Amino acid sequence: MGSRFKQHRISGGIGGDDRFWEALEDGELRLCRCGSCGAWQWPAHFRCGRCGSWEHDWPLVEPVGTVYSWTRTHMAFPRTTARAESVPYVVLLVEVDGTDGARLHGVLEGPADALAIGARVRGTIHPPADESLGYPSLRWALETAEVSR
Amino acid sequence: MTGLRGAAAVVGVGLTPHHRRSTGGPALRLCLEAIVAAAEDAGIHPGDIDGFVSYGAERSEGQKMMPALGTKELRFAGLAWSHGGGIPGALNVAASAIATGQAEVVVVYRSLSEYDGRRLQLDVAQDDTAAQFLVNGLDAPVQLCALGTMRLLEGEGVPASTLRAMAQASYHHAQRNPAAVGNGTVLSDAEYARSRWISEPYRLFDCSRENDGAAAVVLVSAERARDYPDAAYLLSAPLGAAAGWGPLEGNQNPLWSAGFGAVAARLWAESGYRPEDVDVAQIYENTTGMGVSALIDHGFCSLEDAAELITFDNLIAPHGRLPINTAGGNLAEGFIHGMGLVVETVRQLRGTSVNQVPDARLSLMTGGPGDAVVSSALLGTRDTL
Ligand SMILES: [Zn+2]
Repeated sequence: MGSRFKQHRISGGIGGDDRFWEALEDGELRLCRCGSCGAWQWPAHFRCGRCGSWEHDWPLVEPVGTVYSWTRTHMAFPRTTARAESVPYVVLLVEVDGTDGARLHGVLEGPADALAIGARVRGTIHPPADESLGYPSLRWALETAEVSR
Repeated sequence: MTGLRGAAAVVGVGLTPHHRRSTGGPALRLCLEAIVAAAEDAGIHPGDIDGFVSYGAERSEGQKMMPALGTKELRFAGLAWSHGGGIPGALNVAASAIATGQAEVVVVYRSLSEYDGRRLQLDVAQDDTAAQFLVNGLDAPVQLCALGTMRLLEGEGVPASTLRAMAQASYHHAQRNPAAVGNGTVLSDAEYARSRWISEPYRLFDCSRENDGAAAVVLVSAERARDYPDAAYLLSAPLGAAAGWGPLEGNQNPLWSAGFGAVAARLWAESGYRPEDVDVAQIYENTTGMGVSALIDHGFCSLEDAAELITFDNLIAPHGRLPINTAGGNLAEGFIHGMGLVVETVRQLRGTSVNQVPDARLSLMTGGPGDAVVSSALLGTRDTL
């Protein structure tokens, strides 16, 4: 596996999600479930706190969900200077369908007219780029104006 | 009950000026200034300090300061997790060391300087920002807090007027504090509304300042504190996180919260007091919205009636229902990673605040909101024990 993101390793956070980024770089959205009791585990961790298993499954997940929260950022920060040309941009926090409420961030692309908590979104996967700090990324687009609170 | 209720008290405070970023000189020197000032305020020789406690990514460790303080023996040192969430918890660590006889004079402190530090990314965030954030254009704490506060406003229906009230109360208090960086900045409704967006729903005035500086408080045992009529006793300072909270990359529940639910319950249980007993509060606000969430978490109001409590009139000294951030807070006094709030918590009990609440007996400080673990402290005068 020659995943490019590993050359740009971001060391913060828990660090149990390599499989997520590998899959994303291969064009697939995969999230973590316990290999024994089947509980969804997000962010991915190394051991299931419910049953004690160290085994994981990484099933394919359809990149659709509901907006849980959002922010529109109006300036670049020290580690997001590659997005200086894109400000203001909207970042969504999305509850992904069929994952027991796992939430994933992603930049909003396309029209923002229907942007609201509860709006339905669909994601597309983008290859590693400077603006995503050498990692692959998931971007979201609003599906319709329909809102389901 | 942990047995720590009233076991230790703050008897000295020290605070440097809030220098503009990168003009304050070395952090270690600033730290020494604050600690020496706190020791002198307590009438204790700096060399008699035998315990050093801080939080976050503090790099002015006790051992580095020993030669300059004339330390006779360093007997205890520790760091409370994590970031600004650990500030009141650091008081708890200090009290634990004192109550168990490991140290007699413990200083709790924090120093920051851009002169030789790297500020938010390293000194405050500890370079621990997850890929899920950075890959998606989220870097600064203000952006992560924005997602929580958007959920509070749009998701739970708390009015944005509460954010403005938090900001205006802080700037109002700063007008009587000559040492505040916001002194001279009158924050009218129009001025607030005109200020630029940083990350919605936050405008410039919703965000904390950054400064070079240091602050310190000296704690001793309750027995030794009897010599100090204005000692500020630590009634409770729990630190923690309940299941469903922690470094969960936006998966915390509920995300509108600042994470204090379990900690606040322990604070009230251990101290024996309730929100309505509190005379004055210093609410760590990296952003206004997280301060609003902290007030709700601590039971001062609910999601439903937050807008009734959190108004400018209610939040200002001397006669508001709950005066907050009476020296200006992180927003308008200045930002030394929240440590200035501890100093003001003590000043209120001594009756020496520039915005004194009459006869303040119970003084609360809530730590960095929304952090992976958080802590709060209730301090009181001797008659609250
Ligand atoms: Zn399991």
